[in-house]
Amino acid sequence: MTIRDLKAGDHFVVKGVELSRETGKRLADMGFTRGVEGKVVRKALFGDPFQVSILGYQVTIRKAEAAGVSVEPVEALS
Amino acid sequence: MNPLRIALAGNPNSGKTTLFNKLTGSHQKVGNYAGVTVDTKEGFLVHRGRELILYDLPGTYSLTAYSLDEIIARDFVLDEKPDLIINVLDATNLERNLFLSLQFQELGIPLVAALNIIDQAETMGLRIDHKQLSRLFRIPIVRTIGSRGLGLEELLDAALEVAADVHHRSPPLYGADLEAVLAKVIEALDTDHDFSLAFPGRWMALKLLEKDTDAQKKLEGHRHLAVVLDALGKAIAVLEKQGGRDSEILVSEARYGLIHGAVKETVLRDRATVPLTERIDAVLINRFLGLPVFLAVLWAIFQATFTLGAYPQAWLDSLFSWLAASAKALIAPGLLQSLLVDGILGGVGSVLSFIPLVILLFLFISFLEDTGYMSRAAFVMDKFLHIFGLHGQSFLPMMLGFGCSVPAIMASRTLKSTKDRIVTVLVTPFMSCGAKLPVYILLAGTFFSAHAGAVVLSVYLIGVLLALGSSWVFRKTVLRGETTPFVMELPPYRMPTLKGVAWHVWDKSFQYFKKAGTVILAASVLLWAITTFPQAPAGTPASEVIKQSAAGWIGQLIEPLVKPLGFDWKIGIATITGFAAKETVVSTLGVLYKVGDVKDDDRPLQGALRADPAFTPLVAYTFMLFTLILAPCFAAQSTIRAELGGRWLVFYLIFSVLLAWTLCFSVFQMGTVFHLGM
Repeated sequence: MTIRDLKAGDHFVVKGVELSRETGKRLADMGFTRGVEGKVVRKALFGDPFQVSILGYQVTIRKAEAAGVSVEPVEALS
Repeated sequence: MNPLRIALAGNPNSGKTTLFNKLTGSHQKVGNYAGVTVDTKEGFLVHRGRELILYDLPGTYSLTAYSLDEIIARDFVLDEKPDLIINVLDATNLERNLFLSLQFQELGIPLVAALNIIDQAETMGLRIDHKQLSRLFRIPIVRTIGSRGLGLEELLDAALEVAADVHHRSPPLYGADLEAVLAKVIEALDTDHDFSLAFPGRWMALKLLEKDTDAQKKLEGHRHLAVVLDALGKAIAVLEKQGGRDSEILVSEARYGLIHGAVKETVLRDRATVPLTERIDAVLINRFLGLPVFLAVLWAIFQATFTLGAYPQAWLDSLFSWLAASAKALIAPGLLQSLLVDGILGGVGSVLSFIPLVILLFLFISFLEDTGYMSRAAFVMDKFLHIFGLHGQSFLPMMLGFGCSVPAIMASRTLKSTKDRIVTVLVTPFMSCGAKLPVYILLAGTFFSAHAGAVVLSVYLIGVLLALGSSWVFRKTVLRGETTPFVMELPPYRMPTLKGVAWHVWDKSFQYFKKAGTVILAASVLLWAITTFPQAPAGTPASEVIKQSAAGWIGQLIEPLVKPLGFDWKIGIATITGFAAKETVVSTLGVLYKVGDVKDDDRPLQGALRADPAFTPLVAYTFMLFTLILAPCFAAQSTIRAELGGRWLVFYLIFSVLLAWTLCFSVFQMGTVFHLGM
């Protein structure tokens, strides 16, 4: 499962980035690394891009990038 | 003692620029460094008798070769070798900020961290044990609130202390697996002593494990390249086998592993709150409200700019009329008077009169930028722009383009990928800048008086469509390639400070004043000269005087080229002077139609234009389109060259001239066929 499959409001834990070099590296540098928790906050009109909350900040990613981050959906924490 | 050279670095939105301005006050200048087209700001100050030079590096999240800003930041550290780095950390967002700190430590330059915006972190319920954090990362950490100037003394004290400390502080280690392969690569790198002096071993080794293209390029200068490549290949293989993923990802994970551990140990969250930012965003960038809100904001900006701007514009107009009248009264008629009144005051005056519009537009945009709304606008617009091969972040430069293309083109630097940047720069001039507006107003007012507003709007819209269309074409042809990710931070909303906004407005307007001011002054004088010389013999009828000047020859020379567009030699000259600066188009027409000192809405020029049988509404509209498509001025062209290089400028010029000619040709010929000329 990837972030792309999640709905607005869903929480997740990152399993890993499965994208080609530059984009995958950037996602990892921005905090999408194994074990990190996050949440899909909302999607823009037409469902793209996504606003994701991770490491306490907000970041936008397109559907294509969201499809490259494999995650485990989890229940909302605290 | 030599002044202490300090680089100020940090994430975007970490409050770095505020801290820089607080520390250095007005003692700043813009410096240029080898190979870098971007201006780096330098500031000077004296602390406890020691002179300090502060370099404001671009805000970055990481130090990969991902964006121009990141390469600039790291090359500055590598090439200029500052004595130390002050790393500004956003305390509300510690983990991602520390990710950058680690990379500065890898570079081997002494580091001092400013734990900034500590007040907001506390409001959010975060308690940070900065002393323990300092021990874990082996760097001094000072708590600061940049906006109120708190903690700055202590920060500078810590900087002096670190600078005086001769002991090398080794950076924190990244876990046994990674450190083991790192050691092997560093060993191979150290076989070339000169190379090791130029590039710190630990940094270079990590960058190579991260498959950094820029580092790979630098490695080509290594004396024992084969040895290094062999060691590197083995190291990557070992690492990827152990970690089960690509080595570049594993290196990031190793850094974050260290950070997560340290943060768990040192940061306590008292309570969870729904931040104000999220409550605002729930409305402003709501899935369905986002676009309408954005369009309303856009509409409000333009309304306010043109309504409020009309007043100072009128004052400046009267000021220049008064100056022209005074000059006429004081100086005897002749060449000098003509140069001053018709050349300099006429040319520069017409430019200055719309400066209020440009400043107002920048004011509103800077305000929105400082609140954090602009990145939301990019979020809302990204899908739409992406269809045309643009990027959500292309939006800001294009927006600025309605004010002045020079700062707008410069603003494209925030785009991460070179191709996105090139496309954005190339299409930004299609956004009608403030200088093109007087031309539209004059022509639309003269020939379409009843529908002038709609006609001007249609030209603006055609500009936007051309920008989107050309971008789409560029992306399918000369700038093909994979699309770049849209990984962009949405910073928390912040109330802009008056000082901050004023600073940004000044910064953008100054580029305009400096570049446009000099170019337009020169263009005005040149224009005056070619319309005045060679002087016709006394007694020549007024209408013949210009025809016999250099401008007249040029106009008649190029007439065959512009004839198919419906332009006669007079409009031909105006297109040429418009090449230098669109501001001069109106004054050129004024000079050519011999109505003297004209302003945008001058009745005499309107009358003269209407009386000219060659000037039909169709010709007027075609000429507006021509004005729209060509770059605003020499200054904009030289900015394109500065940002993209001479070859892209040539490409741009050929493209825009061909497009202008073809489109105007089609419009004029079709209009003639369908008898729209009357």
